[in-house]
Amino acid sequence: MHCHLDAPANAVSVCRDAAQVAVAGRSIFKIYAIEEEQFVEKLNLRVGRKPSLNLSCADVVWHQMDENLLATAATNGVVVTWNLGRPSRNKQDQLFTEHKRTVNKVCFHPTEAHVLLSGSQDGFMKCFDLRRKDSVSTFSGQSESVRDVQFSIRDYFTFASTFENGNVQLWDIRRPDRCERMFTAHNGPVFCCDWHPEDRGWLATGGRDKMVKVWDMTTHRAKEMHCVQTIASVARVKWRPECRHHLATCSMMVDHNIYVWDVRRPFVPAAMFEEHRDVTTGIVWRHPHDPSFLLSGSKDSTLCQHLFRDASQPVERANPEGLCYGLFGDLAFAAKESLVAAESGRKPCAGDRRHTIFFKRKLDSAEPFSGLASSALSVFETEPGGGSMSWFVDTAERYALAGRPLAELCDHNAKVARELGRNQVAQTWTMLRIIYCSPGLVPSANLNHSVGKGSSCGLPLMNSFNLKDMASGLGSETRLDRSKGDTRSDTVLLDSSATLITNEDNEETEGSDVPADYLLGDVEGEEEELYPLDPEHVHPEEPEYVLPQEAFPLRHEIVDTPSGPEHLQEKADSPHVSGSEADVASLAPADSSFSLLSISHTLYDSRLPADFFSVLVCDMLRFYAEQGDVQMAVSVLIVLGERVRKDIDEQTQEHWYTSYIDLLQRFCLWNVSNQVVKLSTSRAVSCLNQASTTLHVNCSHCKRPMSSRGWVCDRCHRAASTCAVCHHVVKGLFVWCQGCSHGGHLQHVMKWLEGSSHCPAGCGHLCEYA
Amino acid sequence: MFVARSIAADHKDLIHDVSFDFHGRRMATCSSDQSVKVWDKSESGDWHCTASWKTHSGSVWRVTWAHPEFGQVLASCSFDRTAAVWEEIVGESNDKLRGQSHWVKRTTLVDSRTSVTDVKFAPKHMGLMLATCSADGIVRIYEAPDVMNLSQWSLQHEISCKLSCSCISWNPSSSRAHSPMIAVGSDDSSPNAMAKVQIFEYNENTRKYAKAETLMTVTDPVHDIAFAPNLGRSFHILAVATKDVRIFTLKPVRKELTSSGGPTKFEIHIVAQFDNHNSQVWRVSWNITGTVLASSGDDGCVRLWKANYMDNWKCTGILKGNGSPVSGNSQQGNSTPSLGSNIPNLQNSLNGSSSGRKHS
Repeated sequence: MHCHLDAPANAVSVCRDAAQVAVAGRSIFKIYAIEEEQFVEKLNLRVGRKPSLNLSCADVVWHQMDENLLATAATNGVVVTWNLGRPSRNKQDQLFTEHKRTVNKVCFHPTEAHVLLSGSQDGFMKCFDLRRKDSVSTFSGQSESVRDVQFSIRDYFTFASTFENGNVQLWDIRRPDRCERMFTAHNGPVFCCDWHPEDRGWLATGGRDKMVKVWDMTTHRAKEMHCVQTIASVARVKWRPECRHHLATCSMMVDHNIYVWDVRRPFVPAAMFEEHRDVTTGIVWRHPHDPSFLLSGSKDSTLCQHLFRDASQPVERANPEGLCYGLFGDLAFAAKESLVAAESGRKPCAGDRRHTIFFKRKLDSAEPFSGLASSALSVFETEPGGGSMSWFVDTAERYALAGRPLAELCDHNAKVARELGRNQVAQTWTMLRIIYCSPGLVPSANLNHSVGKGSSCGLPLMNSFNLKDMASGLGSETRLDRSKGDTRSDTVLLDSSATLITNEDNEETEGSDVPADYLLGDVEGEEEELYPLDPEHVHPEEPEYVLPQEAFPLRHEIVDTPSGPEHLQEKADSPHVSGSEADVASLAPADSSFSLLSISHTLYDSRLPADFFSVLVCDMLRFYAEQGDVQMAVSVLIVLGERVRKDIDEQTQEHWYTSYIDLLQRFCLWNVSNQVVKLSTSRAVSCLNQASTTLHVNCSHCKRPMSSRGWVCDRCHRAASTCAVCHHVVKGLFVWCQGCSHGGHLQHVMKWLEGSSHCPAGCGHLCEYA
Repeated sequence: MFVARSIAADHKDLIHDVSFDFHGRRMATCSSDQSVKVWDKSESGDWHCTASWKTHSGSVWRVTWAHPEFGQVLASCSFDRTAAVWEEIVGESNDKLRGQSHWVKRTTLVDSRTSVTDVKFAPKHMGLMLATCSADGIVRIYEAPDVMNLSQWSLQHEISCKLSCSCISWNPSSSRAHSPMIAVGSDDSSPNAMAKVQIFEYNENTRKYAKAETLMTVTDPVHDIAFAPNLGRSFHILAVATKDVRIFTLKPVRKELTSSGGPTKFEIHIVAQFDNHNSQVWRVSWNITGTVLASSGDDGCVRLWKANYMDNWKCTGILKGNGSPVSGNSQQGNSTPSLGSNIPNLQNSLNGSSSGRKHS
């Protein structure tokens, strides 16, 4: 419930029976009746044509004994009292012009009808007896401006005053000469204070330092009981009726909200009212015994009545849990202790925990408080081997990505994967080896057959296939499909562990083929045993012949160009060329049943699988990437190199590379990461390790900059950066002493230093390698 | 199997967020007691508090680490309407404070007029950027133009979400094919059934963030949101913590098909939805490969979710907050995040038509 005022309010005060509220501001002074649904303007106390500064109110207070009596503090230093019982329109009663500067606060004595207290910017507090024309006594704070004065509710003679220098003073009204007690409560001005309505010794103070402090004044020295940290300077503080630990605050600037705090939980407000659009200047609990209604006035020219039940509750909205997945699969979990502890006995509460009934009860019952909320923090660590990421680290470190023939790389990586229990990955590597290495290896077998034995062995095979294909009248496309089917069945076979042996047999076969490539015709016998290629035998087991089929082109290539071994290394031979070559070459031993065309077709197709597989392999790489195993995708990409690269668009590759590198760096696998960067073909990636670091190399002999990239200095024509231990040029990790600048291979120097602490170059320096 | 290691956090109020750093060796916690603590893992695996300091004058909702390339940098956000950037200073501590590292406030971001509910550093490849969201429904994106100067941040974008925001998540993808993207969740609890998750995408042409998608099916207050780490995936996975756990996939529809210049269109699927927490879900967090999701809810438990080869998400473990094991409905020990042992998996992929190709 709220109503619009004509002007910004500076203060609000309610009358004793909580039925009316006075609103005062620089250009407003009105009394509103509080009705069920709305505020109704009862009286405008700003009368007269000429606006007087006396009416510019900084504060207003309604007497709690006499409902006709109000007092206002004017910005020009005047204290005005108003008598609503006056019959005339002008209700102004008395005028005290004793303060020299703005009066910040006025306060009636809670039980004495005629005693009024004021505190002013001029540093003085004055006590007025309304039956007299001037002040009874003047209290000099001896410090700075007075911001607030409050009579103690329980101690008849006592009042507290707060000052701009951070002090709080306690006065006996009978002793104007000096204060009873003084202490520094805040850092910076103390804007407000409020005596606890029940606890006689408790005083709450609020200051520019954004804090609300609760002091126990009964002890010899004021003791700080609680300290609430708010987010902005505290302009007003008011204890909530009937709730021993609650108080409401509003801020002087920036923050427009009103907060209700439980002083025992000093960090999170218990409730929050967010209605005002500008600074809230005055707050007051409507009734001294009703904790649910709060009235407020604001610079946004509104007067509001807040219902505590409707307040938003930051506590309820606050997230009670924190959860984070660690790098190694460990989980950090912080949860509100009550959630964790109560769990065992409690049935899971169904539905929304913000149920209204729960809500109401919690709010309206006199402050339920289950102690300070706290969280339990724990880290769930994965036991070694169980779900941790060690497989990733191991794999990254042990995989071989380059520098060896493809078959070896695949074998090695398959072995690594298998040892780590990653069977699927191992299978994939094995398959890749079969797919990509066989054309280079098995062909050599066939080559031997054809060269050594003529057409007797090699051709029947081809024969059988072609004949079969042609007989069934399959076009090249259907044949493609069929070979796809073959690979599928192949895969299926490979996957079931039962055929693993077969698989390994295959490998062995291939392995034994390797030397055959170099020793032409040397292994004929063995080949025969391995491939008992009778035409009758051929038909029933088609998958077996997929590999021999692929062999053809290479055979002819080797016949034509004797650079077989080289070819093996390159691997990326164009199927077209070899196809046509094969076509020509196979003319000689061709059976009469072959047409030239058909052979070329077959050979072409038999070469095609390399391409065909690459589509499949690309799919597989994507599959791994989508499954979150970018390591596999990148590793295969690097190992296979050109074979698949062209089939995956640059952007995707780059994405995989950057993702994998990021992951490696997370695990601090810098060497692997750098290797990947180096091996990557993506331009955006390979420049990663060349950015932001510049190396300036000087020759160790002539001390001049090395211009070329080599290891020999252009100027003195000597090898720069030789190892002081082995006297060879250091390539790679170089370590040197910063004292004498001698150094060498990291390993060598480390070894040297085990035996001696002197420089290995013999310069006599006691080297320090940090 | 998980081993729980309980840590005496010694925060004086609720802990609202826990965050591991890039390398998983440091941990930061923040609490309503207005402080942030930094924990370092010792050789023996114990966590030691190496710094604890008052960061804000209100509850600290979130704390997050920057990529270590930018230094040891933390950002925190708070009820006090500010977000702050902190940097660790090494070597300036005197003898008395040895062992306690020293964190210096580099900047305070004061643009919000309400509680700042989340703060997240952008993925590294975007530079040193920071996004905050606040209860007044505005997402702000800041950039430090000079990565060496952490005290200068300029407000680059202000995105209005219309709803009180509770959480944000950057899309971590480093692919050039994916524009910078940020998902925003709202915990607005007003009864109107508005969608509570919005996704904004940076448009190169207009140089502004524009709304790309709204998850219409999420209408309950959202407490947390998290994109899965994108390790080379062509699509994005988004986990949402609301009254249940939900997992969405967002597959970009090919650019050629959409009109160029406009926001990317996505094919959005909800792939999982679990109400096993029986009440509000507060947090979701992905493992490093984006294959396992952890969620925590009002039941005080952490639940782990993992997809099988059929893309069916299943619970693979339950962890109780106080460390005691819960009779798990699955053998956590065997659920290595590796892809191994699922033979049908590969079969599917090579058959071509199934999951592997489906995603591409």
